[in-house]
Amino acid sequence: MRGEHARGGDRSLPRRLLAATRGRTTRHRPRLGAMSTSLLDSLLTDHLDHGYAEAAERKAERAAEGRTGTDYADARTLLAIGLLLVGFVLAAAYRGTAQQAPDSERARQGLVKDVEQGTAASDALQRRAESLGGQLVRERDAALTAGETGDKVSKQVRDLERAAALVPVHGPGISVQLGDAAPTQQIDPATGKSLTVPPDDNGRLRDRDLQSVVNALWAAGAEAIAINDERLAPTTTIRAAGEAILVDLRPVASPYTIKAVGDPDVLLPRFADSVAARRYQSLSSVFGISFTVQREGDLALRAATGTDLRYAEPLDTTPPPAGSAAPRSAPAGSGGGPAGTPARPTRPGRGGGR
Amino acid sequence: MIGTIALAIGVVLGLILEPTVPVWLQPYLPIAVVAALDAVFGGIRARLDGIFDSKVFVVSFVSNVLVAALVVFLGDKLGVGGQLSTGVVVVLGVRIFGNAAAIRRHLFRA
Repeated sequence: MRGEHARGGDRSLPRRLLAATRGRTTRHRPRLGAMSTSLLDSLLTDHLDHGYAEAAERKAERAAEGRTGTDYADARTLLAIGLLLVGFVLAAAYRGTAQQAPDSERARQGLVKDVEQGTAASDALQRRAESLGGQLVRERDAALTAGETGDKVSKQVRDLERAAALVPVHGPGISVQLGDAAPTQQIDPATGKSLTVPPDDNGRLRDRDLQSVVNALWAAGAEAIAINDERLAPTTTIRAAGEAILVDLRPVASPYTIKAVGDPDVLLPRFADSVAARRYQSLSSVFGISFTVQREGDLALRAATGTDLRYAEPLDTTPPPAGSAAPRSAPAGSGGGPAGTPARPTRPGRGGGR
Repeated sequence: MIGTIALAIGVVLGLILEPTVPVWLQPYLPIAVVAALDAVFGGIRARLDGIFDSKVFVVSFVSNVLVAALVVFLGDKLGVGGQLSTGVVVVLGVRIFGNAAAIRRHLFRA
């Protein structure tokens, strides 16, 4: 550059640029009028790097002076390196974008899969618990039917179990269908596309809606109730966690099917006459929630889940009588705890259990 | 010819090596891509005009990428990064379209 300046003499850089670009662009140069600034002008007309014109001119000068042009091998290496860089940048950008975009989607999919796996595992455990429970009932009945008092106790136990929703039941009854208002289709004013608008808060059922319907069913004389196949036990809670409704910590979603086992001839009129039923009848016409009651010939309800036995323990103020509930002493050599601490008897064959 | 091969090798290298773009560099990547496209289209047009020069091409590419990134970086520091990167994309986009139009005139005489 410096050498050319010296050689170029009177031709300053802007002048040479003008000379180099004038020939090419005059035909397509739009007339922007007196208001146009040179910045806009050059933005709209000079798309090619001026360096090319300069380089071509230098080459022409050199050729005119009789010298050979640039080294071809050199130029090719440069070109190869440059295009290699270009390709690398393009591919890196593609990879970066491709990796970045689905990250959130992939995380969501992973979470969904985790939830599904957890639900499946919980269901399998639940089935196992049910079969073991059935086995337990059979064993217990076999043990109890030995004597006369045993029969009475066995019947009492069965009645209590039914009351506690610990056994599956089936029989005639009614089912109540309760659902959120349907989403409405609206036209988005900005894009013109049709949008699915979820129902507003008035059209969405809350935990207290389910509670009032369930309470009305109990009051109408239902013997067993299940919401979306979640059997209600005496200790079952229906509560809200954010937007979700949990029945004994298991989420249920709209539409809610509430099945109640009981005499339909009694249950149906009594429930239909209840305050809750009348309220949802009117709410369904106002806010669009769905509410239907129908008679069912045979409903099968599962046993309730997650009913832990809870029992009171007397405060341990007096020392236990010797011999009856005294902790068994640990086998010799196992170290043992301080005297008086109940030591778990160590079995020789550890493991093997689940 | 050699350019096409080099470009293909570059793309393949970029895909195989899986370069992890550092987080602080990620905002500049789209700008770098647009600058690279501008350099490529400019080079093709210069080639068709018969004034292509590989040194100019490489230098314009590298400097385009660097300057575009620098402008956006400065914009980020000044709180106008989004607007400046839009500006860079608009300017380079206008150039790309202009060069593409020139290439089209060269190839199709229309």
